Amino acid sequence: MKTRKVTFEINGETCTSQVRPYETLLETLRERLDLTGAKEACGMGSCGACTVMIDGVPTRSCLVLTPEVEGSSITTVEGLAKGEELHPLQEAFMEKGAVQCGFCTSGMIMNAKGLLDRNPAPTRQDVIRTVSSNICRCTGYKKIVEAVQAAAKAPGKS
Amino acid sequence: MIMPKFEYRKADSVTAAIALFEGFKGQASYLAGGTDLVPRVKSRLAMPAAVIDLKGIEALKTISRQGGALVIGANTTLFELKNDETVKEYFPALLASLDATSCETLQMRGTIGGNLLQNTRCLFYNQSLAWRTARGLCFKMGGDVCNAAPGAKRCFSNYCSDNALSLLTLSASVAIAGPQGERKIKLEKLFSGKGKNPFTLLPGEILTGVHIPLKTSQGAYEKLRVRGSIDYPLVGAACSVLGGKGKIAVGGIGLEPLVYDLKDLAEATLKETADKAYQDAKPVANAVLTPAYRKKMVRVLAQRAISKTVQEGK
Repeated sequence: MKTRKVTFEINGETCTSQVRPYETLLETLRERLDLTGAKEACGMGSCGACTVMIDGVPTRSCLVLTPEVEGSSITTVEGLAKGEELHPLQEAFMEKGAVQCGFCTSGMIMNAKGLLDRNPAPTRQDVIRTVSSNICRCTGYKKIVEAVQAAAKAPGKS
Repeated sequence: MIMPKFEYRKADSVTAAIALFEGFKGQASYLAGGTDLVPRVKSRLAMPAAVIDLKGIEALKTISRQGGALVIGANTTLFELKNDETVKEYFPALLASLDATSCETLQMRGTIGGNLLQNTRCLFYNQSLAWRTARGLCFKMGGDVCNAAPGAKRCFSNYCSDNALSLLTLSASVAIAGPQGERKIKLEKLFSGKGKNPFTLLPGEILTGVHIPLKTSQGAYEKLRVRGSIDYPLVGAACSVLGGKGKIAVGGIGLEPLVYDLKDLAEATLKETADKAYQDAKPVANAVLTPAYRKKMVRVLAQRAISKTVQEGK
């Protein structure tokens, strides 16, 4: 089966990749672009560990075929920090101890970024609603919720 | 999970999509949000030679008012629809069912067309190829037994669209385009009652839009699920009332929703309808909760949906 050329923007840089037509975005990110922040857990869209932003919308990359993102702009967790300076969400996750094994963290942060982008002042209930769509089996969510709330109040958040 | 091989094509119009489908001699699947199709393909429940991406069809992304109806393009995502002012103002049952569908991240990907056309589900069907093959083919896989209810003569898989239930109570219709032209049918007529192919769509047909009569209604949607943040309904019940009459739809059990008319809102009528739904619902042991419990919850959720709706109307 012939591969096809797909061009998209990844973390601010234009990227052209030769991919299989049945390749998922998650596979392309992890195996061709070495962006291993997004994780595969269930592979069925249930857990959210593979969440990345496609044109500003948090999306489960295990359910997206790479050819679908032709011309789109994708942000992964690797694209959040500005050089050495971490994103307020990343800072808050460390500060509040919201990371244990870390497998869900990048998906959790990308989904939380989606929430803060569309609602800069979320209520605790809004935060719970958003993070509950990602599975974390370590933390019990309390510290994740605290971290997202702290990031929402942080100065210079984006 | 590893994908099987298939080709990818993108259509920019409904006509082009149908032509592509015919080009693959019917061995293609239409792709919208992919939240139902991609997991099915990964599990080898669907093995298309090609997927035809409909997301590029701009004409299917619009929401408009036309001749006394709200016309929703099939590509509208559930999240966009949930935030639509007309839906908020006129159709509370639909608003509630949209909000109860999966989680917000998947609502942003999944479309209303795809939500209505999601395939039916069963604990003995939504499994890996190795698991299913070891068990033996059931009605839904093309065999002649039911693995969930031994001895049964038909498929008992569950249709799990939340929004079909609310749309049924709102007397919605669906627009369809295909190789033989366009047609519009009542939503009730979309269901075939057959496990292997639960919809009456003909090969190559595309659900292009949903039409809802534009009349202010009261309504509610109630849902039973294990994981509150994401799961499919184990039982769902929608109720809409307008002008002293109403409808109730119950789903998540069996191949198609049960729909009941409420000729008035008298206490006796409401109770009788919830009892009738309880009697008609025939759950089998093919979901994560027992059939007896799900059957009981049909009456409970139908009553809750009714009382919420009636309360709201006062």
